[in-house]
Amino acid sequence: MNTFIEQLVTKKSEILSLLLEHIQLTIIAVLIAVIIGVPLGILITKNKKLANAVIGFANLTQAIPSLAILGFLIPVIGIGSAPAITMVVLYSMLPIIKNTYTGITNINPDMLEAAKGLGMTSGQTLKLIKIPLAMPVMMAGIRMAAVTAVGLMTIAAFVGAGGLGYLVFSGIQTVDNNLILFGAIPAAVLALAIDWITGKIEEATMPNGIKKSDGTMKVRRTSSNKNRKRNIVIASILAIAVVGGVIVSSISNNSNKITIGSKNFTEQIILGNMLQQLIEDKTDIDVQTKLNLGGTQVAFNALKSGGIDMYVEYTGTGYVNILNITEPNSNTDEVYNVMKDRFKADFGIDVLNPMGFNNTYAMAVSKETADKYNLKTVSDLAKVSGELIAGPTIEFANREDGLLGLNKAYNMNFKTVNPVDGGLRYTALNSNETQVIDAFTTDGLIEQFKLTVLEDDKSFFPPYHAVPIVKEETLEKFPELRDVLGELDGKLTDEKMRKLNYEVDVNKRDAKVVANEFLKSEGLVE
Amino acid sequence: MIEFKNIKKSYKNNVILENFNLNIEDGNLVVLIGSSGCGKTTLLKMINRLIESTSGEILVNGKNINQMDPIELRRSIGYVIQQTGLFPHMTVKENIEIIPKLMGKSQEEIDRKTIDLLNMVGLEPEKYSDRYPVELSGGQQQRIGVARAFATDAEIILMDEPFSALDPITRAELQEELFNIQKEYRKTIVFVTHDMDEAINLADKICILKDGKILQYDTPENILKNPAGEYVEEFVGKNKIWTKPEMIKAEDVMISKPVTVSPKRNLLQAREIMREKKVDSLLVINKEGKLLGYITLEIIQKIEEKNILVEEVMNKNPECVCGDKNLPELLEIFNNLKKGYLPVCSDEGKLLGLVTRSSLISVLSSQYIEMGGDN
Repeated sequence: MNTFIEQLVTKKSEILSLLLEHIQLTIIAVLIAVIIGVPLGILITKNKKLANAVIGFANLTQAIPSLAILGFLIPVIGIGSAPAITMVVLYSMLPIIKNTYTGITNINPDMLEAAKGLGMTSGQTLKLIKIPLAMPVMMAGIRMAAVTAVGLMTIAAFVGAGGLGYLVFSGIQTVDNNLILFGAIPAAVLALAIDWITGKIEEATMPNGIKKSDGTMKVRRTSSNKNRKRNIVIASILAIAVVGGVIVSSISNNSNKITIGSKNFTEQIILGNMLQQLIEDKTDIDVQTKLNLGGTQVAFNALKSGGIDMYVEYTGTGYVNILNITEPNSNTDEVYNVMKDRFKADFGIDVLNPMGFNNTYAMAVSKETADKYNLKTVSDLAKVSGELIAGPTIEFANREDGLLGLNKAYNMNFKTVNPVDGGLRYTALNSNETQVIDAFTTDGLIEQFKLTVLEDDKSFFPPYHAVPIVKEETLEKFPELRDVLGELDGKLTDEKMRKLNYEVDVNKRDAKVVANEFLKSEGLVE
Repeated sequence: MIEFKNIKKSYKNNVILENFNLNIEDGNLVVLIGSSGCGKTTLLKMINRLIESTSGEILVNGKNINQMDPIELRRSIGYVIQQTGLFPHMTVKENIEIIPKLMGKSQEEIDRKTIDLLNMVGLEPEKYSDRYPVELSGGQQQRIGVARAFATDAEIILMDEPFSALDPITRAELQEELFNIQKEYRKTIVFVTHDMDEAINLADKICILKDGKILQYDTPENILKNPAGEYVEEFVGKNKIWTKPEMIKAEDVMISKPVTVSPKRNLLQAREIMREKKVDSLLVINKEGKLLGYITLEIIQKIEEKNILVEEVMNKNPECVCGDKNLPELLEIFNNLKKGYLPVCSDEGKLLGLVTRSSLISVLSSQYIEMGGDN
């Protein structure tokens, strides 16, 4: 409990800013969904066929997993808030369109005929009769959309849009329940708050003179119409302020700016912070970060599409995954040179010098398992693999240079493979639900969970030397970056990196602080 | 004046109306009536173009409505529908004012008009202006519906079964109210109903429809007295006239060829006529048929000299009634009358017929006898 409070104190400003970011993202997404959904819902009341098509489409998007939608969106619109907002907008559309449509089509047709017969134009009927009468149903849809959007928006962190999901993902990666709670609790509170606020709006927009389902009726006399108008004015000002804030903040994105990305594990986040602090210290460049991007594909696509300017990649990942070279190669220099040449030629991306450490894959088992089967090498593991359950990351389980290739190379075949993502795989191993996981050689959690790392006696795993990779244009624009980043060359040994990871993962310290301490101890920053 | 000219209306292959012609005079309340599916509501909604005719034209005050802007046309025509016509989220005042407001009339003018209209339909403006429809009884709601139709000073008002959802007592009240309003404002009202009693109570003219054809278009009185064909008679209901005894006139119950005598006849001849016709009195008319007086057997017997001419001894101030005196009035007159008969004359004094106590009894008893026959 004490550590919870301590951690909360040190994280409070981060939590607050992520919360604000979350609110902003959610409100923008819901506003866009309303701006698109309500007119669309009204439009389709005119045509039954169109209505079926539109509602069918909205239903369909609802059925697609949110991560899949993000996956489709990244190549098209890159990373950051744009795909996150687009995804939430797509999900929020259904209740808004459906309720708008239902609200309007359920109005007694006799009443609409009366309106027409009295001489109202269709526009006047819409404004004076249809919308006011459909308002309660429409608002219920918007309310549902808004509350769902709060939860959905936690996935925004997956594509570097930030928000409370950042804390949740970080917590899962580092097996830090407190961190998960720091994200989850504000998200839940926010959902309740939005439910309450939209409920109030729903109440306020409920037309007079209509019987509610509980049989009571709201009757507000004309004298209080002023209040209603005042409320509408306040709500509009708030909405404009939020949207305006976003526009201003996006305008303020000047050209003297670079964005640093990172994948979604501790080491990457430390490295991301390190690059940021170093560049900020040595140059006048305005450095922004989009850390914790959901995996290599997300980070690399972001770099290609210009969503970020640089991140730290591993030579093996570049060689095998990005360049799709399936032939195993454990020659460090060859792997590095191939990656450097091909990245430049194929993607216009510069691969800088290695930072020093080799964060390669390793198979790890608990001490008990190692003792039980007398495991020292992966070859030992292969012999007993039929009795063991593997619980690697999803990425590892599906990589040719990961489990797929490893199985072939060692003629290994696990009883079952149950991929568990991020830090959760340590938890699963700890509770003996799985017996074998993949680990990174620099992983601080190896230390924490007292795992035995098995020797890669057939040198299957390619070298995974950390190298900063930067967009060519960025280096052309800021040539000084090459020298600044060069200062890190060879500075990080496996030991040092594991120590830094341990500080964050096990000692629950802030990645930013840990990165800063390192840079200071190396004399790289003041 | 609303004129339907050669109107045809069909939905796909289903022809509802064909060759339909009808004129509705200004200031008349015309009821369109018929069983469901007869086309009455379709006709009504064609007038404000809620339904467009397939062919033919409708003229309002000589102008073809298809050449008018539908919005303006509708605003110049009041419209009252059954029950649900009021907008539930608007107060009584807002409901009445909505169209005048959209037309951009001044608020001051609108306020004044609203108060007048509420008074017209018998609802106190201070008490009801700010209420919502759900707070009103069905009858009150429909009064607001009527008030709203009058809000734009329309000359024509369409009413589509406005009272049919109300209980009989409220319905009767509202009919009475509408009747009085109509007497005062003399709008051209087209009123659709399926209730013959309502039609008879309200209409200046009733148009009875069946399968898109007019069976009879006439005053309620004529329809009651001379139904055109069996269907109308059935539809109107036999003896319906007895629900409206005011519609039975002296000329309907009189003996149309009473026994008369020329003033130049002598008493002997007069007595001979009486004996022959088995009556005890004679009406005296001149060659032009004008009623001069009457002579009774009693008078003749009192006089010895039978050569005296009738005109010298006849009663010269005969009481007589006009032909359009109705049944209740006749009964009233007979109650105060010593005699058992009463001549019926035209305005010029020409003898038209004679009502006697026995002719009245036979008319009055006919409804029971016929009804008995029905059972």
